[in-house]
Amino acid sequence: MADSPVEFPERIHRPTSPAPWERKEGDPGDGPGGSGPRRPDVDAPDTRELLKKMRRVDPNQARRYRQRTGQ
Amino acid sequence: MQRTLGIETEYGITVDGPESVDVVAESIALVRSYTQVEPPTQDAAMKWDYDLEDPHQDVRGFRVDELMQDFDEAKYFVQDQNRKLSFQEIKSDLVLSNGARYYNDHAHPEYATPECKTLRDIIAQDKAGERIIEECVRRRNLHSNGGIVKVYKNNTDFVGHSYGCHDNYLMERGIPFDFVIRGLTPFLVTRQIVAGAGKVGIETDERVPFGTYQISQRADFFSVLVSIDTMNRRPIINTRDEPHADSDKYRRLHVIIGDANMSEVAGALKVGMTSLVLDLLERRLCPMQIELADPISALRTISRDHRLKSVALLAGGRTISAIDIQREYLAAAHKHLRGRDEETNWVLAMWEQVLSDLERDPMLCRDRLDWVAKKWLLDAFVEAESVEWDNPWLQSLDLEYHNVRRDEGLYAELMRQKNLQRFVTDDEVRRAIRQPPCDTRAYFRGRCIEKFAKQMSSVQWDEIAFGENDREAVVRLLNVFDEEDVQRYNAAIDNAQDVETLLRNLKE
Repeated sequence: MADSPVEFPERIHRPTSPAPWERKEGDPGDGPGGSGPRRPDVDAPDTRELLKKMRRVDPNQARRYRQRTGQ
Repeated sequence: MQRTLGIETEYGITVDGPESVDVVAESIALVRSYTQVEPPTQDAAMKWDYDLEDPHQDVRGFRVDELMQDFDEAKYFVQDQNRKLSFQEIKSDLVLSNGARYYNDHAHPEYATPECKTLRDIIAQDKAGERIIEECVRRRNLHSNGGIVKVYKNNTDFVGHSYGCHDNYLMERGIPFDFVIRGLTPFLVTRQIVAGAGKVGIETDERVPFGTYQISQRADFFSVLVSIDTMNRRPIINTRDEPHADSDKYRRLHVIIGDANMSEVAGALKVGMTSLVLDLLERRLCPMQIELADPISALRTISRDHRLKSVALLAGGRTISAIDIQREYLAAAHKHLRGRDEETNWVLAMWEQVLSDLERDPMLCRDRLDWVAKKWLLDAFVEAESVEWDNPWLQSLDLEYHNVRRDEGLYAELMRQKNLQRFVTDDEVRRAIRQPPCDTRAYFRGRCIEKFAKQMSSVQWDEIAFGENDREAVVRLLNVFDEEDVQRYNAAIDNAQDVETLLRNLKE
C-alpha cells in the first residue's frame, strides 16, 4: 500500500511506576506451585495520576453537552 | 468465530467555547476532514449508493409505511435544506480503504467497521475507527478558530438523547423469527452486566434519585420488546430487514441495545458471546426455557443494580439473577461449542471468569469491563474529593471516560497506566486503519477503493459499480461469504491492473 498522507501519531509514553499487579522478580504466582501470572491487586490501585487528571475535567462539561437523538 | 460480524458506532460531538453549537455542521466537517489533506488522499471514496437501502422492510415479512423517526427525519430534512449542501454532501458518506463506512448520520459521525470474521479483526477495526476519528479531531482543531472540537464514543447526552452502537451478525434466514425473539431476549436483557459502559444518572421520567450509577448507558431508552424502529420507542429486538446479502439465504441481526465499548475485552466478549448464542439458535440448541415476565422492567432493574443483587421475575413466577441467566447460555455454549476454535475457547473461558468474578465482587472486573472500570474511577474520585454522587462533576467525568483523544480521555489514561487488559495490539489497530480484513468481502471493497476509486461510480456493502450509464458494470457481493468465494474475489482484485482486467478475472 502507498504511504498514507494521514498521520496517526503515537500516544505519548511517559515514565510510569509499575502497575500494582505487575510481577516482580521472586514474586509467587497464583498457579500451581506459585507459577504463572498473579491476579490483579484490585484492592490497592495507584490512583494519584488518575485523580490528577480527573480534577482537571471541567465539572460543567456534561451540562453543556447536548446532542440530537440518533439511532 | 464462524460468522460475519460488524459494529456501527455513532459518536457524540461538541465544541467547547461557543455559546451554541451546530452539531450537524460539526459532524459533517469532522468527517470531511478525513479527505482534506494535501496531496489528496487515495484511501477514501464518497460514492455511497442509497438506492439499495430500505429501513422500512421488516424481517417479519412486511414493509411498514412509515417509521416513528420519519417525522423527525422530515423535520431535520427541512432544516438541512437551509445549509445549501446537497443530500450527498450532508451525509459525506466515505468508504475507506479498510472497507469501513465513515459518514455523518443524524448529526453524529458514524464509523461502521468492515465485515469481519474474527474477534481480533473486529476489535482492531473498531479501535481503528476511534483512531481515525481522533485524527479528524486533531485536524479540525488545527484549523478551527471557533472553539475546541471534542468527540466521545458514548451513547447519551444525559438528558434523554441517545445514539447507538449496533452490533451486527449475519445469520441463516431459515430460523423462524419468533424463535430468535424467544431465545435472544433474556440473553440481551442481561448481556449488559458484561458489556455495559456505565452511566451516572437516569434519563426516564421515573422518580429515582439523581446520581444513580447504572450498568448500561442505553437501558433507559428501550420501551418495547420487538419493533422496526430505532430512534423512538426502541425495541430489545429490532426487526429491520436489511441483510446486505442474499435475502433468500441470510438475515442480518441488527442488535441496537448495546453500549459503545471502550474496553477491548468487553467489546470482544459482547460480540463473541452474542455470536455463540446465535450458533446455538441456528443449531436449535439455544436455551428456550427462560421467559422474563417483563423484559423492559428487567432491563432497567438490572442496569440500576451495580451490586448485582437483584433478581428478575420469570413468567412462571420464579425469580432469577442476571448472572444466572447468563450462566444458562454459557453452559449451553460450553457444552456444544467448546473446542471448535481458539476464539470460541477464549470467549467461553473469559465469559465464565467474568461471571464468576462479578458474583464474588464486581470490582474484580475493573481490568476488563467498562462499567466496572468507570465505577472504580468514580468511587476513587468521590472518596478523594468528598463529593456526593449527585454532584454534576461525576457526569462530566463519565463523559470524559469516552473522550477519543488519548491525551485527554479517562479510559485512555487507564490504558496508559496498564489498568485494563488488552485484546489487540497497537500494531493490529494501526494496520486496520488502512487495511481490510483479508477473509471477508471487505477486502475486495477496500482494495477497489485503493486501486480503482476514480473508476467506481457507486459502492454499497453488497455491490460495487464501475463506469457510467450504459457502460456501467456492477460487481455484486451478495453471496461472497464462504472462504472459497472470498479467496476468488481477493485474487481477482489483487491480480488486476485495471478495471477491465478485474471484471475479466471475476468472470473466469
